Amino acid sequence: MNTFLAAIFSGTSRGAIFALVALGLVIVWRGAGIVNFAQMGQAMFSTYIASTLIANGNSYWVGFVVALLSGAALGSILDILVMRPLSNKKKTELLASESMRAAIPVIASLGILGALQALAGILWAAEERGFPAPVKQEGFLIAGNLMPFTAFDLFVISSVLITLVITTLFFTKTGMGLAMRATALNQEVAKLSGIRTNRTRTISWAISGAASSLAGLLITPTSNLSPNTLDLVLIVGFTAAVVGGLDSPAGAVLGGLILGMVISFVTFYDTPEDVFLAILAVLLLVLIIRPRGILGSKDVRRV
Amino acid sequence: MLKIENLVTSFGSVVALDGVSLTAQDSKITTVIGANGAGKSTLLRTISGLEHPSSGTITWQGESIVGRRPEDIVRMGIAHVPEGHAVISELSVEENITMGSLFRRRKFKADVSAATEEMYTLFPRLKERRKQLAGTLSGGERQMLAISRALVSRPKLLLLDEPSLGLAPLVVEQIIDSVNTLCRTTGLTVLLVEQNANTALGVADHGVLLALGKVVADRPAAELKADATLRAAYLGY
Repeated sequence: MNTFLAAIFSGTSRGAIFALVALGLVIVWRGAGIVNFAQMGQAMFSTYIASTLIANGNSYWVGFVVALLSGAALGSILDILVMRPLSNKKKTELLASESMRAAIPVIASLGILGALQALAGILWAAEERGFPAPVKQEGFLIAGNLMPFTAFDLFVISSVLITLVITTLFFTKTGMGLAMRATALNQEVAKLSGIRTNRTRTISWAISGAASSLAGLLITPTSNLSPNTLDLVLIVGFTAAVVGGLDSPAGAVLGGLILGMVISFVTFYDTPEDVFLAILAVLLLVLIIRPRGILGSKDVRRV
Repeated sequence: MLKIENLVTSFGSVVALDGVSLTAQDSKITTVIGANGAGKSTLLRTISGLEHPSSGTITWQGESIVGRRPEDIVRMGIAHVPEGHAVISELSVEENITMGSLFRRRKFKADVSAATEEMYTLFPRLKERRKQLAGTLSGGERQMLAISRALVSRPKLLLLDEPSLGLAPLVVEQIIDSVNTLCRTTGLTVLLVEQNANTALGVADHGVLLALGKVVADRPAAELKADATLRAAYLGY
C-alpha cells in the first residue's frame, strides 16, 4: 500500500513537470503552428540566468521573475530572427516543396537547441550545478510516515494548474487568444481578417518562452542544471503533448500526468530500465487508437 | 472608387495579370468574368495585398494601396472573401465572425456587437449554428460565414471570389441576392469575380471580361450579357 501511494505521489509531481513542458509546446503549436524543439534549450538558458543572479546574492524570486521575462524575450528574439524569415513563402519557395516547407521551422528549432546548448557551455561551463527551490524539498510526514511528497511538489503542481487555467482562458476567452489560434490555423484568412500575424506569432513565442522557463525553474531543483539536463524532459514532454493532443492545453496536462504515473509505476514496481519502453508503449497505443491525442481536436495535423 | 491601371502580376515566368485596367464605381456591383485561369482570383488577391504586382497602380479612394499588407488594406475598408469558402474549419461559427472584427474591437466596441448581430440577421442559419465548428457546415453555410467574416469588418468595398463555386443553384441565388440587397441598401461597393457569367451579369451594374490576364471587354453588364459573339468566344456558351 505504501509503495502504491509513493508511486502515485511521485507520479503526480513528475507528471506535473512534463505537463508544463507539454503546455509550452502546445502554446507555440496553437499560436504559430510549429513544434518547437528548442523550447528546453530556451528554458535551460533562462534558468542559467536565474542561477547566476541568485549566486550573486539576489533573492530566489528576483531570479524567478527575471528568468520568466528573459524566457519571453528569448522566445520573441528567436521568432523574429529565425522563424519569421523562414516563414516567408517567397524566400523558401525555391528551397523545398510545399510539404517539406512545413518541416523547415522544426529543423531550425533543433538547430537553435544545439546553438543554445553550445552557447550555455561557453558562457557558464558545461559542468552540472545545483539550482535552489523556493520551498522545502523534504517529504511531508503523515501519521509518522515520511511521504515521497514535498512542499516543492505542491508548488510544482499548483504552478502547472495555474498555468493551465490561464492558458485555457487566454486561448478561448480573449481576442488575442483567438488571433493566435487563427494565425496558426490559416495565416491567409487571419491576415485578411486584419490580424497582424507576425506580431501575433511573436507573442505566442514569448508566452511559450515564459512557460518553458517556468518548467526549467521547476525541474532543475531536483535534477541539477547543465546545458543538456533538460533534453530528456523535452522528449517525455513532447510525448506527453502528443498523447494528450498537441492542440489542447488540458490534454497536455493530462498527457503529462499519465506519463508521470507510467514512469513512476514502472520505476517502483518494475525496474527503471524499462521506463523508456513503457513510454514508447503508451505513445504507440495512443497513436494507434486515437492518433489526434486523448483531448486533441479532429482536424489537427498528424505528427 | 477603386481604380486599377496597367496592373501586372506574375508568378515566376507566368504572367497572370498582363496590364489590367478597370474601375469599380462606388455603391455599384462590378463583376469580373472569364474562364478558368483568366487571372480573376489573382486580380482580387493583388488588390487585397496577398500578391504583389510587378507594376501598375491600385488606387482606393484616391490613395495608392500597392505594397501595403493585407492586414492594413482591411483597415482601409477593403474586405476580401477568397475562393473556396475560406473559413477556419477548426474554429466555431461565432469565432470565425469575431475574427473578422478583432481589429475593431477596442475602438468600436458597440458597433462590433451590432455588426455581428446584423450578420446573424442576414444569415439566420449561422445564428442557429453559432457554437458549431465551421468545418461541420454545408458548403452554402460556409460561404455565408466567409462573407460574414468579411462584412463584420464594415468594409466599403467587398471583394468576392467565386461565391457560387460548388454550390447548388438555389443557394447561389440566395447568397447573390443577399449581396445585392446589401449593395443597394447600404451603399457597399462590390467587386464580384465569377465563372458563372450569367448569374454575375444578371446582378451586376458593370462587367469586365478577362481572358489570359487581359481585359477584352469593359461595359455595362446588360450590354455584355447581350453580346452573343463575346459569349461564344470567351465563355463558351
